Amino acid sequence: MLNRRELLGAASLLALSPNVARAQGKNAAEVAVEAAKKFSGTEISIVWEAGLQSLDPLNYSGPKWEKLTGMKVKVVEVPTDQMFTKIMQDFRSGAGAYDALNVIPSWMPDLVRAGALENLDPFVDKFGYRDELKDIAPAYRDNQMTVGGKIYGFPDDGDVMLLYYRKDIFEDPKMMEGFKAKYGYNLAPPKDWKQFAEIGQFITDKMAPKTYGAGFFRTPPYPQYMFQERFRMEGGKFFDAETMKSTVNSDVGVKVFNGMVAENKFMPPGVEQWNFVDNLANFLQGTTAMTISWPPYGRWAAGYGSGEVALKWVPKSQVAGKVGYALNPLGRDELGVGFALSVSTTSKKKEAAYLFIQWLNSKQISLERVQLPYTLRDPFRTSHYESAEYRKLWPDAPAYLDTIKKAGETGLLDLSLLQQDKYDEAMTRAISSLWTGEDPKAVLARMASQFDAITEKVGVDKQKEVYKAWASKPGAYP
Amino acid sequence: MLMNSPPALSNRLSVFSDRNFRYLMIAPAIFILLLVGLFPLIYSLVVSFQNITMTEVDYSFAGLLNYNQLFKDVRLWQALGHTALITAIALPLELCLGFLLAQLFLEKMPGRQIFVALLVLPTVLSPIVAGATWRLMFDVRFGPIGQILSFLAGKPVSILWMVNPNYVYPAIIICEVWQWTPFMFLLLLAALSNVDQSQLEAAELDGASYWRVLRQVVIPAIRPVVTVAVLIRGLDLFRLFDIIWALTEGGPGSMTETISLYTYVIGFVQFDTSYTAAVAFLVVAILSIVVTIALRRTELAQ
Amino acid sequence: MSGAARKRRKSGILALRYSIAIIVTLIFLFPVYWLFMISFKTPDEIFHVPPLWVPGEIQFSNYWVLFQDGDVIAIWNSLVVAGLSSAIAMLLGTFCAYSLARFNTGGRNLAMWIISQRMIPPIAVVFPIFLIYVYFGMVDTYAGLILLYTAFNLPYVIWMMRGYIVDIPLELEESALVDGCTRWQTLLRVVFPMVRSGLMATAVFTFVFAWNDFLFALILTRTEVVTFPVMLTHYFGGQSNFWAKIAAMSVLGTLPIFIAVTLMQRYLVRGISLGAVKG
Repeated sequence: MLNRRELLGAASLLALSPNVARAQGKNAAEVAVEAAKKFSGTEISIVWEAGLQSLDPLNYSGPKWEKLTGMKVKVVEVPTDQMFTKIMQDFRSGAGAYDALNVIPSWMPDLVRAGALENLDPFVDKFGYRDELKDIAPAYRDNQMTVGGKIYGFPDDGDVMLLYYRKDIFEDPKMMEGFKAKYGYNLAPPKDWKQFAEIGQFITDKMAPKTYGAGFFRTPPYPQYMFQERFRMEGGKFFDAETMKSTVNSDVGVKVFNGMVAENKFMPPGVEQWNFVDNLANFLQGTTAMTISWPPYGRWAAGYGSGEVALKWVPKSQVAGKVGYALNPLGRDELGVGFALSVSTTSKKKEAAYLFIQWLNSKQISLERVQLPYTLRDPFRTSHYESAEYRKLWPDAPAYLDTIKKAGETGLLDLSLLQQDKYDEAMTRAISSLWTGEDPKAVLARMASQFDAITEKVGVDKQKEVYKAWASKPGAYP
Repeated sequence: MLMNSPPALSNRLSVFSDRNFRYLMIAPAIFILLLVGLFPLIYSLVVSFQNITMTEVDYSFAGLLNYNQLFKDVRLWQALGHTALITAIALPLELCLGFLLAQLFLEKMPGRQIFVALLVLPTVLSPIVAGATWRLMFDVRFGPIGQILSFLAGKPVSILWMVNPNYVYPAIIICEVWQWTPFMFLLLLAALSNVDQSQLEAAELDGASYWRVLRQVVIPAIRPVVTVAVLIRGLDLFRLFDIIWALTEGGPGSMTETISLYTYVIGFVQFDTSYTAAVAFLVVAILSIVVTIALRRTELAQ
Repeated sequence: MSGAARKRRKSGILALRYSIAIIVTLIFLFPVYWLFMISFKTPDEIFHVPPLWVPGEIQFSNYWVLFQDGDVIAIWNSLVVAGLSSAIAMLLGTFCAYSLARFNTGGRNLAMWIISQRMIPPIAVVFPIFLIYVYFGMVDTYAGLILLYTAFNLPYVIWMMRGYIVDIPLELEESALVDGCTRWQTLLRVVFPMVRSGLMATAVFTFVFAWNDFLFALILTRTEVVTFPVMLTHYFGGQSNFWAKIAAMSVLGTLPIFIAVTLMQRYLVRGISLGAVKG
């Protein structure tokens, strides 16, 4: 029987170990804050996408962290198309100017191979973060966190592309009648791309020029994600697993490209020049009845955050309350892009940087961050999807969260090989050529040969390994 | 003309020549130039014979690996082709338009100074600003170009300038010519103002037609300036980067990629450091050859 | 043709010239007008179809945002960097030009080497320079950019000023020297005033080159010394092009240049003519 003193002694010994921190009810955020206090006064830098994305660390998380720990956060805003450059440049020169990083997961193989990202496993164990990592939705946790089984980044953005459609049009009795009469099935979010074309054409016939059936962004750099999804769902494979020769120019590829070109016909004129904002503006103004994009559309369409100064450039939503959410045709959605938080190997303040990203990514803080009206970070944790607080944000929020949760569960991974940006570029260039009227077969043939050239330059065997590893993931091919 | 001081000059001043003075005068400038101009070239040369890529840093001598790749690289030669195309079209256009403008403003007119000051504005804008402005102007829905064309044509005109391969080069050239014609205009205005009046009058009195006067009096008189202008502008066009970056970033695809843009892509996006160095050397070599030939020809002409 | 008829014809031609001049100027300035206009529009007006040619009202909120966000620091950074580098380049370059012009120092080889420096495509040297700067800790510093722009403007300054100086008759300097002036005094009191127009014209263009540079500013800075063109590219986002900000920042960034050019414009035509003709 322990006497009081011994009990106290034992208790204090236990209290010192990090695991007990959790046992005592301290969550990962609190653990990070506690551990970071000893770095009070130091400044860490974090690379973040310029523009809207940076408002989070600039206005909210950065100041909050400083208040809690005394650590200053310098946000290095970099436009997306310069991010990879700046990170590699800094790493290559050994300058060590960046401590923490935002990286797009498909870059991770390249960055890890070059040695630019710090392995986070030791830190995760030291500060007991494994538990909360499990809460991250499987789609992101299993695919955007590790390279070769080791942790190099914390997925921080639930990017997935889903279908937004005008509930009011789809549920309009006259439209439903007319559609059923013409096509023989009920008007509902399209289950495949044939239905998509039929519904789109029907709506355009009935409602243009006020409203068209659908609209998509068609200009670089995003359409290639839509292509990746559609191509795979129709049965296509990027490569022959044995020879590593590219098979994008198969019949499936031609079918997909033909379909994409045909769709432009019932979309508003000039759609080939649409970028992310054009597409958004048109949907919010009610010009298009269907579109596919990332989660922020859903929030903005509902009018969430419309009062924010930072969102002044977002056109006022005329369709609040009229928007439905669904999975894309053929049922599996691309996890386009995404972001992960990492630590640079050349940083001189690795532990401090790590603590900041653990805090950002933790259950408690990330829930706050994804609810910021101006944020571009989408829910990515199971706890986010189930959060009562989030579900109250606007009337359709529960449906919204459920849809993105489902989309995430069955999400398709972005192709992620060595020198992925070169393959991405080839795809982007091919799609651009498509809008100029070039024959899809020729475009695909060119894309395939470009793929092969890249593979050769990287080294067929090396790439084959990486491809095999990627393709074996459940999210790679349906 | 370009290089030689009259011999008498140095002789007369040699009485006062102070050896130290003349070298002191050039020392700081030369020092800075060496700092920034010499090391990078040496570095590039060395690195181009190594094999440093994004994922591997291999300092061993890799022979002509990168230079061999130069010849096989289709995209590189396409980039050079794009650059040559833009230069070949934009340069004469700027020259001619600049000449016409200069003729317009040649004779004195009240308020000429204001016009000149205003016309200079496009040239002093940042090329990034120029590119951004025209990008918005060409926008098929929010830009006025489409509106104006539709008005002129009497029916809706919907051209996707930035995406349609038939229109993307015209778009770039319009923006580039818009920005730099005033530069040519200023230079030519100055040159034309300096044409010997007496010669002009003599020719007119002789009853020579406008074209003959132009050919035999004006053009020879302004040739030195035109040469300088063409050289400067030609070099700048070869190195074109900012304006294309702001307009199309080399797109659609890599259709409007100039050599500078392509070098940026392989150097700062793909981090093929060694290959980039080899390409950089190729570019410098081409430029040097072209300029040497051009300079020699202009000197011969004198 | 009678005197009166000739006069009428002359004024007729003048009127024609004026009309053409006005039309041409309007065409050339139209894009600038458009840019100005966007900076005053509200987001709804910017995305209005068909495009609006006149904003509803002149509102400054787009500019105000730039001040609030602190982005305006980019203008200040550009002023410091471009201003100082131009001043230094003009000083050192003119000295060098004098030496070349009067003493033919280094002969033809030096002159050719200096000119060749201007031909170097920035893209070819930017990465090695970045590495040097990292080694000396000069990345993202004012001194770093100033040094770089000075170096890149020197060839132009030397080239131009040499031309102007060669034009000045020797007698003036000789008589000054005979009067007992030192070399330096001759330079400062006789030569500089004589090439004043050339100095101004060259200075303006040097300033403009440094102000508008994009590539070096992009690679050699991170957060401390963001200059105007780089700040501008931050507004071309993946998700959105903040046209309002782009326009407002562009206007702010062009004002200093425009002011400089306007102040110097009487030197410009004369200055360029003397320099280019003698080249």
